[in-house]
Amino acid sequence: MNNKPKIGVYVCHCGINISHTVDVEAVAEFASQLPNVRVAREYSYMCSDPGQALIREDIKNEGLNRVVVASCSPRMHELTFRKTLAEAGLNPYYLEMANIREHCSWVHGDREKATAKAKRLVAAAAVKARLLEPLQEKEVDVEPASLIIGAGIAGIQAALDIAEAGFKVYLVEKTPSVGGRMSQLDKTFPTLDCSACILTPKMVDVASHPNIELLTYSQVEDVSGYVGNFDVKVRKKARYVDMDKCTGCGVCAQECRLTGRIPSEFDEGMGKRAAIYLPFPQAVPAKYTIDPERCLMLTRGKCGKSPKCVDACGTGAINFEQEDEIVEFKVGSIIVATGFDVFDASRKPEYGYNDYENVITGLELERLVSASGPTGGDILIGKGDDAYVPKDIAFIKCVGSRDKSVGNEYCSRVCCMYTAKLAHLLTEKIPDANVRVYYMDVRAFGKGFEEFYDRVRREGVRYIRGNPSEVFKRGDKLVVKAENTLTSTPVEDEVDLVVLAVGLEPRRDAREIIDILRLSQSGDRFYMEAHPKLAPVDTATDGVFLAGCAQGPKDIPDTVAQAKGAASSALVLLSSGKVKVQAQVSHINEDTCRGCGYCVEICPYSAIELVTVNQFGHEALVARVNDALCKGCGACVAGCFSGSAQQKSFMDGQILPQIAALGVMR
Amino acid sequence: MVDLEKLRTVAKETISRDDVKYLIGWRQGTYGFRVTPCFIEEPGEAEQLIFSPLCTNNLASYLIVTEKLPLPRGEKPDTRKVAVMVKGCDSRAVVQQLIEQGIKREELYIIGCPCEGVLDLKKVEAKFPHILDPVAAQWGKDKIIFQLPEGVVEVPREEVLAQKCLDCRDPNPVIADITLGEEIEAWGNGEYQDVKELEAKSAEERWAFWEDKFSSCIRCYSCRNVCPMCYCKDCILDRLNPSWIYRSTNISENTAFHLSRAFHLAGRCIECGECERVCPVDIPLMKLNQKFSKEVEEKYGYRPGIDPEAKPLQSSYRPDDKEDFIL
Amino acid sequence: MSEQQFEPSVIAFLCNWCSYAGADLAGTSRIQYPTNLDIIRVMCSGRVNPLFIVNALQQGADGVLVSGCHPGDCHYMEGNFYARRRFTLMNELLNYVGVDAKRFNMSWVSASEGAKWKDVVEEVVENAKEAGPFEQFRRNKINW
Ligand SMILES: Cc1cc2nc3c(=O)[nH]c(=O)nc-3n(C[C@H](O)[C@H](O)[C@H](O)COP(=O)(O)OP(=O)(O)OC[C@H]3O[C@@H](n4cnc5c(N)ncnc54)[C@H](O)[C@@H]3O)c2cc1C
Ligand code: SF4
Ligand code: SF4
Ligand code: FES
Repeated sequence: MNNKPKIGVYVCHCGINISHTVDVEAVAEFASQLPNVRVAREYSYMCSDPGQALIREDIKNEGLNRVVVASCSPRMHELTFRKTLAEAGLNPYYLEMANIREHCSWVHGDREKATAKAKRLVAAAAVKARLLEPLQEKEVDVEPASLIIGAGIAGIQAALDIAEAGFKVYLVEKTPSVGGRMSQLDKTFPTLDCSACILTPKMVDVASHPNIELLTYSQVEDVSGYVGNFDVKVRKKARYVDMDKCTGCGVCAQECRLTGRIPSEFDEGMGKRAAIYLPFPQAVPAKYTIDPERCLMLTRGKCGKSPKCVDACGTGAINFEQEDEIVEFKVGSIIVATGFDVFDASRKPEYGYNDYENVITGLELERLVSASGPTGGDILIGKGDDAYVPKDIAFIKCVGSRDKSVGNEYCSRVCCMYTAKLAHLLTEKIPDANVRVYYMDVRAFGKGFEEFYDRVRREGVRYIRGNPSEVFKRGDKLVVKAENTLTSTPVEDEVDLVVLAVGLEPRRDAREIIDILRLSQSGDRFYMEAHPKLAPVDTATDGVFLAGCAQGPKDIPDTVAQAKGAASSALVLLSSGKVKVQAQVSHINEDTCRGCGYCVEICPYSAIELVTVNQFGHEALVARVNDALCKGCGACVAGCFSGSAQQKSFMDGQILPQIAALGVMR
Repeated sequence: MVDLEKLRTVAKETISRDDVKYLIGWRQGTYGFRVTPCFIEEPGEAEQLIFSPLCTNNLASYLIVTEKLPLPRGEKPDTRKVAVMVKGCDSRAVVQQLIEQGIKREELYIIGCPCEGVLDLKKVEAKFPHILDPVAAQWGKDKIIFQLPEGVVEVPREEVLAQKCLDCRDPNPVIADITLGEEIEAWGNGEYQDVKELEAKSAEERWAFWEDKFSSCIRCYSCRNVCPMCYCKDCILDRLNPSWIYRSTNISENTAFHLSRAFHLAGRCIECGECERVCPVDIPLMKLNQKFSKEVEEKYGYRPGIDPEAKPLQSSYRPDDKEDFIL
Repeated sequence: MSEQQFEPSVIAFLCNWCSYAGADLAGTSRIQYPTNLDIIRVMCSGRVNPLFIVNALQQGADGVLVSGCHPGDCHYMEGNFYARRRFTLMNELLNYVGVDAKRFNMSWVSASEGAKWKDVVEEVVENAKEAGPFEQFRRNKINW
């Protein structure tokens, strides 16, 4: 290509938006005198069809190879004019714009000074245009599959939506069963539908859907690549049970020597299970798993004469030789739906959670009221013959939420309502119960929430405003010490049961996924969305989306809504089949790079790595940019002392002359 | 103090090792107070080695500027270790080079020499002009003992020590495979008195001060060339496309040169003072570099070249970094 | 040149996503401000090489401004954090060699802060005016 710059400068009147303060003719006349400028014209509306045609014709007839448009902000019309260039067969990146409307005619009144400024801006654009280089816009194919991490209600819903749209889904769940926290709940506010009734069908669907590959008891180990082309590595932990042979009959668990000896995670430690177990009756898949940390065979290499489960199993499904399996696959998009942990109540020692067995958490009460729970749905505190039905019951709200002292300033958004729900269930189960709720505020913002809260109060649950300072034992009663802040009276309330409405926290293992996917955390430590309002399911990493409580506390309706949002964002990618990658990316001159790795540290997207190259027989470290990962911020460029990293269209060699032009024009 | 016998024995042993290429150390120079860096490849040569207050050169510079000639096809590069003698400040250069991946730890054998401060030859030669015969010097208590041709002379330490050593906080090597001699208690207080004095002046006075200094610069680039941290293969200040600074020597280009050089060393300068030592027109470059040492330490609690695991200052940040000057 | 007549030249580096957009908003809102400041657009304040400041002063600027998104709001998450460190250091250096502290300015202006942008421009231009023409540091002959 004959690349001697031939620049066309087009100065726009923008009706009178520009020309009323800027002498457009004078600017065009000035531009025509600038070095390498072949033509300079002014026109009423450059962005109109005839305006663009003007440029296209000049490119053809005058052989222009660079274009400067002096008009509105490039944030407005850069894409328009890039297209114009492309239509005329010129590389679209040979365009430079001078913003003489938003940054000039609209903000200045003095015609002479505004015209002078417009000339400066045009001159700076023209020198830069001279030095522009053609860039290629690359597109990469999108792998038509999605990875979903976490199979709570969020992950399940997103998986179903994507699978229904016809794309492959890999649904990875850490525990032996899908379902997440929702499976532990009894009824759900505010409608009181039974949680299992609405969840179980969906759990079964994910297991049977032909497009979903369910990987339970598995963990994502590594993700590399970029939007459209992620390479995923998943570790399927050994269950020591052959999934194909296990029928889920459960005789093994009955026979296990440790049966009824191991606290069940699902029942929050209140129920007991065996070393070989199904987490809960409706678990999906309905296959047993051996707990490697408890099983006698696996921990000591010996279980009586021979392991009882092996003897009991009719299909010979148990296999102590099984090993972890690594599964690798490719996906185009990723949804993180890893959910939450409940606040650890022992971090508020004043409430005595560790000291008294009749101080329990909301989640524990969920299990107690559940018909499938450890007590079969009876509200029984204590063990064996000592067990009793509590009459005086106090809830304490905001435990671990809205509390700077434990580092959680945020509101957990579900505790107000689950407290109302559980209070209601208690009054139902224990008709003569006397239930009160200690609260700071009641936040009943959702659909049907206020109505539900009202109903619960009318059922006789007393709401006392005050944040208890302490719970202690007096005789065989617990005393809740608080101040009723509405009446300014101190309260010492004697009760049989205290329920702590613990808040939602980021999972304690949240770091794992951060390290693998390079997510950011917001101030509350939940995973951070790309924009709190306009991109609530996106993350800063293209192609990675968030759903459910992993992004912040929310109830089931919001979780499902967000999951559907994340699924649709993932589907946009998958169904278009292509993604464009940035053209104005950074590039490193390997000959001058000194391999210091500053850029590697700086890049927010891990787009740069140090590679070893052979330089005349010697090994040398140099930095290399992955175009598909680079977002073109240029932070590496300014941090590179050797000037080896340069961002295309924003190179030092292009900006320095701009500075010079602005200086000279004084 | 480093015992010469011990030093030479260690050097001999080191150089006899199969995995050591050569040893970089100091030996007596050709005349007067001169001491010169030397590259030792044979055990026999170890007898030349010295360590004294005259060993000013920062040998870490040689680790990084060694020329790598093209190798004939098939020939493997010699990746045996380089042994190097380091003072406290030199060792910080090594650490900073490690941080910036300029060298590999496994290709180094570091011989640490605790140092009680080296001399400013300009001060020494002003006291004892025109001495041509080689002179030796050694540390005494709060003094330097010279073996001049006319006999032994003792001079109070403050009178002849290099400026940078008067306030040294790292007399002991911060990294070494073997350390010779006893650890020395640091005497510097890190108060950056010099910098503060200049800061206390008005902007006009400061400009006048530096204008005077920078206008004498002949742009020989010695300061850059000697610096153990300046090792780009192709310095941007030499480049024509794009051209950051012009070649002409005038106050504008000279100032731009010095600002750029100093800035590129912000958070990297390890205060060995080599630039100032080699400057032929006596520009107080350390006054510039120390400004950054001070700022970086005060603002970010950072001292370059101390912790090999630390992230470089300019490629890291904290969300709560100070920003009081921002509008 | 007398004080009153002096019209300083200010060069400003603005990130595309916040400050440049904020300046656009000032335009759309027809907020008036002085003509002395010329904008160079970069994608992020993290792209601005601190040596650009030195260069701009050499090439005829009497004042320089770098403006980006507020900390935590950078479109690329971290760019302005790096910029903040770099320019804190550059600012110290310039002051130390006696460059009037008013010549170099940095600001955070978001896409919604059209009015703040005007205040910033006025302040920066006023600062440059007070500092006066920076002829001591000008390059003799500027090639471009
Ligand atoms: C006591 C209590 C009562 C509640 N009551 C109600 C109610 O009545 N109504 C209502 O609307 N909401 C209620 N909620 C809120 C409700 O539980 C949540 O909205 C819902 O569970 C969020 O679902 P999720 O899928 O985002 O997270 P989760 O349910 O936490 O699911 C996350 C899943 O991801 C898995 N996982 C985590 N990390 C990984 C990993 N690294 N790899 C693979 N898998 C991983 C977990 O094992 C889990 O299965 C209640 C919450 C609590 C604590
Ligand atoms: S910062 Fe520059 S010199 Fe250092 S590794 Fe990156 S490109 Fe190379
Ligand atoms: S321009 Fe930004 S995104 Fe691209 S490699 Fe450099 S730092 Fe990373
Ligand atoms: S995009 Fe505005 S500062 Fe980074």
